[in-house]
Amino acid sequence: MIRAATIVASLLLLAFIAVPLAGLFVHLSPAQIAAGLASPVARTALRISLVTTLISLALTLALGTPLAYVLARGDFRGRSVVDAVVDLPIVVPPAVAGLALLLVFGRFGLLGPPLRAIGIELSFTTAAVVMAQIFVASPFYVRAARSGFLAVDRDLEAASATLGMGPLRTFAFVTVPLAAPALLGGAVLCWARALGEFGATIMFAGNLEGISQTLPLAIYLNLENGDISIAIAISVLMIVVSLATILVVRRYERA
Amino acid sequence: MKRVRCLLLPIAVLLAAPVAAGAADQGKITVFAAASLREAFEAAAPAFTQKTGIAVTFNFAGSDTLAAQILQGAPADVFASANENQMKKLADAGALAGAPATFARNRLVGIVPDANPGNVSAIADFARPGVKVVLAAATVPVGSYARAAFARMNGHDGLPADFADRVEKNVVSNELDVKAVATKIALGEGDAGVVYSTDLTASVAAKVKSIAFPPGAAPEATYPIAAVKSAPNAAGAHAFVAFVLHDGQTFLKARGFISP
Repeated sequence: MIRAATIVASLLLLAFIAVPLAGLFVHLSPAQIAAGLASPVARTALRISLVTTLISLALTLALGTPLAYVLARGDFRGRSVVDAVVDLPIVVPPAVAGLALLLVFGRFGLLGPPLRAIGIELSFTTAAVVMAQIFVASPFYVRAARSGFLAVDRDLEAASATLGMGPLRTFAFVTVPLAAPALLGGAVLCWARALGEFGATIMFAGNLEGISQTLPLAIYLNLENGDISIAIAISVLMIVVSLATILVVRRYERA
Repeated sequence: MKRVRCLLLPIAVLLAAPVAAGAADQGKITVFAAASLREAFEAAAPAFTQKTGIAVTFNFAGSDTLAAQILQGAPADVFASANENQMKKLADAGALAGAPATFARNRLVGIVPDANPGNVSAIADFARPGVKVVLAAATVPVGSYARAAFARMNGHDGLPADFADRVEKNVVSNELDVKAVATKIALGEGDAGVVYSTDLTASVAAKVKSIAFPPGAAPEATYPIAAVKSAPNAAGAHAFVAFVLHDGQTFLKARGFISP
């Protein structure tokens, strides 16, 4: 009885998630999907999405790796607060993130006037897209990297030090390789989250083809008239990419 | 056995919920309405509920989004659009119960932030290089009305023949609905935008300056309303349409809409 109920409950939720996703695939023929993705709108959005997410990922790796290491190794007061702040964007609604960015980096925001004084205006730019993505996606990498560093045996780092390796070389040749599966898994997850970013982007960066219209924005904007096929084609692409992401992350998690 | 019940109860609830929702609840309706109608409709709803005993739930968004949602089977009782195109899309698809009726008109107005960072004092300035123009997307009614207005100004009053193209080159964002345009201008992110005169609510008007279109340039926005064919509450839908066409006019006028 319990078993039957468990199976029924599992199947219900599974079907609820899988059927709508599968439904997108049957809506159009593969040829129509290809045509939708080949449309200028989709191709421009794809280019913007690829460029911005790769920049976001690079910046997240550069800034997030030291932060994750400090969170894993550092012993300082208020670490739990820093931990919570880092995790916050994961649960905060993206629209809130966008509004927050706007009120700080917008033209009349907190940092708007000083930035403007040195000739930088961020709202409605591709840079704003990258900022929105880093804001919402970087915590996924930092979390994973922090766990990865925590799992590294400190005796091995100590051994490396006794063998004459400096802290930087120990980090590069001992810690990072040992934490590599977690770092890679986190990086892929971070990239996928950046790719799917919508709410903070439209709020902070606006929506303009070739500047700030990423794939998710293109989906929303093309849910119009006959262009719904473009929206579906992009959706199908994003599901395929997401599925690949999950499979990659699984592999690294198991490794 | 007790544990089994604990497991089964949520499942039963899950299964029953759609059934309960499917059974027509004659005490409420869902109205899909253009974002620009928010203030007027929210003010009118209590009067409608008081008169008919029917509670109203609103879904405000860009009319294009709403039309797409209804075409995909969203459970709307009434659709109130900010232009005739989106309503026609539903009519052509056979998704309406009866012909749509025009219940209001609205005027386009240019807006700039109070600080006026783009130094915009007339609609003609929208085309000056470097002015950051924020419009609603061309598929959103106010976005298409605005572009039509710019096109009508081509070559008039000493403006260049490609005035509309020049404005389009200045567009820094195509927003999802008219309220988003008002917000971006009120925050000062954009230099100039186009909204409806009814969007100049007290809170928005405090942060923006409005700029009139030249006489005859801006088309009046036409708002049609209709009951949706697949309405879960058909009687309630018709009651709401009738209400908007008669008693509801007071609330629309109070918010600056023009009678049809």
